[in-house]
Amino acid sequence: MSQHATAMPPATEMHQEPSYLAVSNVTKRFGAATVLDSLSLSVGRAEFVSLLGPSGCGKTTLLRLIAGLLAPDQGAIEVGGRDLTRVAAHKRNIGVVFQNYALFPHLTVAENIAYGLRAKGVPKAEQAKKVGDALGLVRMEAFADRAVTALSGGQQQRIAVARAVVVEPSLLLLDEPFSALDRKLRETMQIELRHILRNLGITSIFVTHDQDEALVMSDRIAVMNEGRIEHLGTPSEVYARPKSLYTMEFVGQSSRMGGVVKGSSEGLVEIDTPFGLVRAPGHFMSGSRVIVGVRPEAIAAGEGPAGEYNTVRGTVAEVIYFGSRTLLHFQTAQDGDRLHVELNRLPDQVAPGSAMTLRWRIDDSRVFPAPTETGR
Amino acid sequence: MALFGSLFCRIVLGLVIAFLFMPILIVLTVSFSSSAVFAFPPPGFSLRWYASLGNADSMLQAVWLSSQIAALSTAISLVLGTLCAIAITRGMIPGAKAVATFMASPLMLPGLVLGIAFLQAARDFGLRDTYTTLLIAHVVITMPFIMRTVLASLSLFDFAMVDAARMLGRSYPAALWTVLVPNILPGFVSGGLFAFIASFDNYPVSIFLVDVRTKTLPIQLLNQVEMSPDPTVAAISALLILGTIVALIVCDRLVGLKRMASI
Ligand SMILES: Nc1ncnc2c1ncn2[C@@H]1O[C@H](COP(=O)(O)OP(=O)(O)OP(=O)(O)O)[C@@H](O)[C@H]1O
Ligand SMILES: [Mg+2]
Repeated sequence: MSQHATAMPPATEMHQEPSYLAVSNVTKRFGAATVLDSLSLSVGRAEFVSLLGPSGCGKTTLLRLIAGLLAPDQGAIEVGGRDLTRVAAHKRNIGVVFQNYALFPHLTVAENIAYGLRAKGVPKAEQAKKVGDALGLVRMEAFADRAVTALSGGQQQRIAVARAVVVEPSLLLLDEPFSALDRKLRETMQIELRHILRNLGITSIFVTHDQDEALVMSDRIAVMNEGRIEHLGTPSEVYARPKSLYTMEFVGQSSRMGGVVKGSSEGLVEIDTPFGLVRAPGHFMSGSRVIVGVRPEAIAAGEGPAGEYNTVRGTVAEVIYFGSRTLLHFQTAQDGDRLHVELNRLPDQVAPGSAMTLRWRIDDSRVFPAPTETGR
Repeated sequence: MALFGSLFCRIVLGLVIAFLFMPILIVLTVSFSSSAVFAFPPPGFSLRWYASLGNADSMLQAVWLSSQIAALSTAISLVLGTLCAIAITRGMIPGAKAVATFMASPLMLPGLVLGIAFLQAARDFGLRDTYTTLLIAHVVITMPFIMRTVLASLSLFDFAMVDAARMLGRSYPAALWTVLVPNILPGFVSGGLFAFIASFDNYPVSIFLVDVRTKTLPIQLLNQVEMSPDPTVAAISALLILGTIVALIVCDRLVGLKRMASI
């Protein structure tokens, strides 16, 4: 996962650019329920940003607000410096790829793609050319005169993308476009779609609740929780340096152990956990209840130099073999704790019950306030 | 045994079909009768009752009036009923279920009750014009047929398509027209057909609302049968049957009877 993430272009450049899409303090309520709570998001030109979050956290709602299919109760939405908050959906020039594609079954493939061009009054000859180009873009030239109902899921997906981009929208919104595809096809389409959109240089907001998908495809990921953005950052930032326990646990696997801060010095805190003393970068008052999080693949077997590493001992509870790697679950003494370790090579004679020494870099440890303390 | 069962079923089926078709066959036969009374079997063949239709002014007027009322009320119900059905399906109004039931309720009331109610209401509102009163009453009569089929069609319709059309640059009404209408056309056609027929041969409601100069076809036909029961009515009926067959063929060409029947 992290390999893909580091292959993305440096996102720091994009941060400094004036934002192209600016969602400012948007609140949306349905009756008594506040679905989006003063949410802000800014996205640079040609950036690909994923909204990642569990079901019901408000991803689709945010997308529909940007599209103009819903009106916010408060806040503003700007694209390219133009305030769109009060602009009707059909005048926004924003493309949408819907979850079930929403292709028009009474029209052929080519007519589906031409629909937006017709609506915009593009001359017939130009329409034909653009439709041809769009079909080429998604490699569906041979299907122009087919009925859309006669296409496979992946093919329908391509047509939905072609139909949305052919009108050259200022922004493309995609709501879980791969959720109806099987795993294999989904992976192919992820790479292909990313390639197409990058070549077009189109700014895209992509909704998913699949963390792998978000890590593979995005320039930046907005991790959402209950109508708020918990963390907006590059895939590697979100994965390796999550800002909250929620982000850490939602994106990827994690080990966690609860403890009490014993003391701190030089930007490091020392935490007393059931596994022993653990150090991590951070600032907390002595006596605070905290949770230490570590990625399973950052943990290795054996001891390390004490200056750089945390070292703990544990008893193996379960061995899960994946072929290229092995996941070890360790016994824990405290509710909510979890010590999972991912090893590429299994040391000899490890079985449930064996005791092992484990180490991970102090820099790889994250500390978060324990949930009860923040009232969450 | 199975063979016998299947044979038995076939015989029953044949009898039922014969029973259903008998009145139609009798009317058709009588309309070609040479006799001036409603006799079956007819003594001889002639086209005189079809020829006499040309002079039956009041009958033709009634056909014309009924066609107008049926066509107009169906059209009005289609537009209003569809908009209402969209509001109900999309949950745009509170108590959507209750509204849907209410819109379909005229189908569950005896026509007589509706007729008396309309008569009273028209008086109370000072509505003197028979034509307008008839039209309003027939909108209410046709509405349940439209509501039923359009609601059924809409339950299968993916409204994300309307959103897609809007995002591609069509206003909401234009999106409905270019995407929703073509996709629920079978529902429109079958609902419209039922509605048209319900209005065209409505007797119990219309009887309270017509006047001497404005009579719908069913009422005129019954008058005619009471006053001069000659086979002119059979000729008219035969033409109506022909019209129905033509309408069914057109609908079949348009959307396919199979698709209509499945709604
Ligand atoms: N039209 C509506 N009326 C009332 N509540 C709504 C409406 N639309 C969404 N909600 C509520 O808002 C919340 C967020 O919904 P939303 O569809 O944005 O979630 P999501 O993040 O897209 O979830 P999923 O991953 O399941 O698609 C949910 O609790 C949902 O029940
Ligand atoms: Mg959603």
